[in-house]
Amino acid sequence: MKKTVFCVISVFLFLGIMGVAIAEQLPTICAVHPYTGRFAFAGIEGAAAMQDVVDMTNEAGGINGKKLQYFWADGEYKDDVGIAAFKRLYAQHKPQITFGQSTGMTKALGPEIKDRYKTLYSAYTFAEEAANPKVNPYLFLPGPTYVDQFGVILKYIAKEKPGANLAFFYSDTEFGREPIAAGREMAKKLGLKVVAEEISQVGGVDLATQILDMKAKKVEYCIFQGFVSNPIASVVKQSKDYGMNIKFMGTFWSTEQQLLNELGPLAGEYTGVSAYSFYYQNDLPEIKKIQAWTKNKFPKVQYRSQSYMAVYMSTLLFVESFKRADKMPGGFNKPENLVKAFQSIKNFDVGGLMPPVTINDNSIPVGRVYRGNPSTLKFDPISDWVRLE
Amino acid sequence: MDFSILLQIVVVGIAAGGVYGLIALGFVLIYKATSILNLAMGEFMTLGAFVCFTALTSLHLPFYIAFIITLAFAVLLGVIIEPLILRPMIGEPVISVVMVTIGLGVILKGLTYMIWGPVYRAFPPIFPPKPLLLGPIVVPSGLLWGFLFAIATMAVFIMIFKFSRTGVAMRAAAFDQQAALSMGVSVRKVFALSWSFGAIAAVISGVVIGNMSGLNIYMGDIGLAVLSVIILGGLDSIGGAILGGFIVGILQNLTGFYIDPLVGGGAKDIAPYVILLLIIMIRPYGLFGKVTIERV
Amino acid sequence: MRSGDFKENYISDEAIFPSLFARFWVAALLVFLLVFPFIANNHLLYIANMIGFAVIGAVGLNLLTGFTGQISLGHAAFIGVGAYTSAILVTRYGFSFWLSIPLAGMASALAGALIGIPSLRVKGLYLCIATLASQFIFGFIFVHWESMTKGITGIHIPPPAIGALHFDNERKFYWITLFFVLLGVGYARNLIRSKMGRAFMAVRDRDLAAEIMGINLFRYKLSAFAISSFYAGVTGALLVNFLKVVVPEQFSFMVCIEYLAMVIVGGLGSVIGSVFGAVFMTLVPEVLSVLSDIVKEAAPEMASLIVPFKQVVFGFLIVSFLIFEPRGLVEIWNRIKKFFLLWPFSY
Repeated sequence: MKKTVFCVISVFLFLGIMGVAIAEQLPTICAVHPYTGRFAFAGIEGAAAMQDVVDMTNEAGGINGKKLQYFWADGEYKDDVGIAAFKRLYAQHKPQITFGQSTGMTKALGPEIKDRYKTLYSAYTFAEEAANPKVNPYLFLPGPTYVDQFGVILKYIAKEKPGANLAFFYSDTEFGREPIAAGREMAKKLGLKVVAEEISQVGGVDLATQILDMKAKKVEYCIFQGFVSNPIASVVKQSKDYGMNIKFMGTFWSTEQQLLNELGPLAGEYTGVSAYSFYYQNDLPEIKKIQAWTKNKFPKVQYRSQSYMAVYMSTLLFVESFKRADKMPGGFNKPENLVKAFQSIKNFDVGGLMPPVTINDNSIPVGRVYRGNPSTLKFDPISDWVRLE
Repeated sequence: MDFSILLQIVVVGIAAGGVYGLIALGFVLIYKATSILNLAMGEFMTLGAFVCFTALTSLHLPFYIAFIITLAFAVLLGVIIEPLILRPMIGEPVISVVMVTIGLGVILKGLTYMIWGPVYRAFPPIFPPKPLLLGPIVVPSGLLWGFLFAIATMAVFIMIFKFSRTGVAMRAAAFDQQAALSMGVSVRKVFALSWSFGAIAAVISGVVIGNMSGLNIYMGDIGLAVLSVIILGGLDSIGGAILGGFIVGILQNLTGFYIDPLVGGGAKDIAPYVILLLIIMIRPYGLFGKVTIERV
Repeated sequence: MRSGDFKENYISDEAIFPSLFARFWVAALLVFLLVFPFIANNHLLYIANMIGFAVIGAVGLNLLTGFTGQISLGHAAFIGVGAYTSAILVTRYGFSFWLSIPLAGMASALAGALIGIPSLRVKGLYLCIATLASQFIFGFIFVHWESMTKGITGIHIPPPAIGALHFDNERKFYWITLFFVLLGVGYARNLIRSKMGRAFMAVRDRDLAAEIMGINLFRYKLSAFAISSFYAGVTGALLVNFLKVVVPEQFSFMVCIEYLAMVIVGGLGSVIGSVFGAVFMTLVPEVLSVLSDIVKEAAPEMASLIVPFKQVVFGFLIVSFLIFEPRGLVEIWNRIKKFFLLWPFSY
């Protein structure tokens, strides 16, 4: 019985693949989005962003006249499901550019992407490992690494209160732990004291011990890493209950509207780093474009989050790399051309979504500090775009 | 040794322990009557929390009505699940029964996801936000009200069991099914009712925890940690569940505060399981459980 | 004309392939398995390898739970122990992949025997909960014993090799997997018709009576845990050498549930049942993924419902098999076999 099942499936897929292989190899992007699972809030927005950029590009004539192909699968934010989905997509469509769902998947597939698949690759991550062109030139980040973001925060704290007591509050995951070691080093160099490190599960229920630990160690600034909104809002609220006066800061994925909605009147307690402008900053041309597109195609959608912006940015860079590589001898089907094209991006205007983009070590090391505004429940920029090296 | 911090931790532990005790009560109620360990309790909790959430936000009902709706839902859940899924499993080996409850949990988790999605949501505030101040000790509002709800529910259950006809019938069926049947107790109804009671305990805990730390589909994972409470207290002892809840709550918070920094975090979450293993090795029937001695 | 299935001596009764029917289909299966890698693409080979690993793990779990009646909710932890042992031996101490496999198995066997100790004091539900606790405790160790396991970052493993031949893609690794699957299934099949296998089944059916008859419960229960964990260790070692990376999330409680589902859906107490269960429970999510791709094109709004739907289907399968077909897929297979065995007198 299982043999028959095998045979049938083999035959079907075999025919399907033969069919695809015979067709001409158009510019193709394949993505694994965390459409369900713990990171779904980002995956759903990211998938929408990628689809929007692909549609916008094809409406404007595609890649120098060729239609941009785009296929995606749900990785459920689980590494094994994501890797299987990646392999399935690759076998079916042979993309030149791919996109992954997490830091974990990036680390797992990294060596194979370099040696075997040779696609330009980015993901829902800002880990250092994906911005190391000497080790793996195919991986890149559409923004600053977590370590860079920590750098922005720590420099900001050192300016505001030199020698302050810090706590790192991070999640018990790859995403949470990634920049912590580097963060400790940077803090030491800036003369800041990391007096406490609190760890919690994502979605931890009872955080009293972590909060009380921070109280006992007289923490003045608490930096979150590896969470989105839960349990940041609980920590902020409960620390007020315990009579503590801590300033809270965080990196990219938590500097989101969702967090401000939960903090409500306490929104002003949170300051975060983001690499992109926000959806409501509609004095910027690219934001206006996104707003117009969204209102036109998806009238029910009220807001696009920073996750949307991050993937939007990645896809813009994908499209630009395709266009530049297309003009090179061998076209975009030669992996080295795509890498060269990508790394050649300098002062690329993205309409205010970020300052003009220059790729540096396969990442874009710029960031901006925003503080929550309790009356408007929006983020106000409290610094200019900071360039990190 | 900073005594005020130690006392604070113990107080927080007691408050958290009250909630654990409530969840444990749910387990025990079902086990006592039907000898089934319902590993889907966590998912019952999550479902209950989401139902209450929807009643509050989409239907804009005041809390006490939303709460009553949630309780009604719990009763419905118990009454539907028991005959549909558990009745056919009577007489099957233990592993099948355990797997059925696990399978049920997986189904419920999937359904919850399909209906409400993966987005983490904040519970609309239903309790006054001011914390309770006992001298230097602070009890945050979420914990405080959770504790009060848990204690109130436990008290109600204990009174039902002691004084009402239904309660006495349930105790009789749990003690000796044959004798209860011969006295005219409908054991079928008792089974369904005990599942409903268990579900009620679960959904109340769900509402309380949802209020404390927000709602998402993973909040039910705490259900498995509560197994340590019921093992400590004894699988079929109500008093044991309550007492065990407090003990585990305090131990867990103490571990979290003093040991977490030594092992780089996570000790707090693993503490219940270590306690569990120790108890099973030393005294498997817990503090008040019925001892079935089998010596070969 | 056959009118029944009659055996004339104990030896033929104990034979693994009792009839021409069985021998024919097994031979056909072997031919298919040998030809498969040459006709399948990389994705199918990936699935085939994953099925292979699942088979080994499921057979191991069935030995413990189906044959010896000891409930274990901790199988994923043992897979993890084997996986990490192999990874650490290969990357840190320079062992060859081939040597690391039996060592990984033994490390898991040791862990299994350790966790099996409570089985001497408690049974049934309590044992179940004890193994559950150890599952979480091992998970904690995987994450926090960073000096050995590199915690959340995980360990990257180079592909195994014999001389210059590197097994670095799905097709080449298939042969390794096939070898171990045949070895594992063959050994298990022989084990259960040996003295130890019969002792296991006696322990499952009535352990007090077994003790009275002279079966040392201590020895056989621990052996069951050890052997089952050995299988799990081999599964883990193979899995991570195939994926070339080890991270703690690969050994979660959900994995335990998946293996238990395989064993139950396939059939408790039957080696071929574990094979069926492993194949079935690995293919179902794959088929659903393919379906989800189709649904995505046709009705994009439904895309985010497919994955939780997979969960619902998974849970539903477990529950329905338990209620309607508690002996599992192997029972269905047996019915088909009996039908053809006595055809045309199959009534």
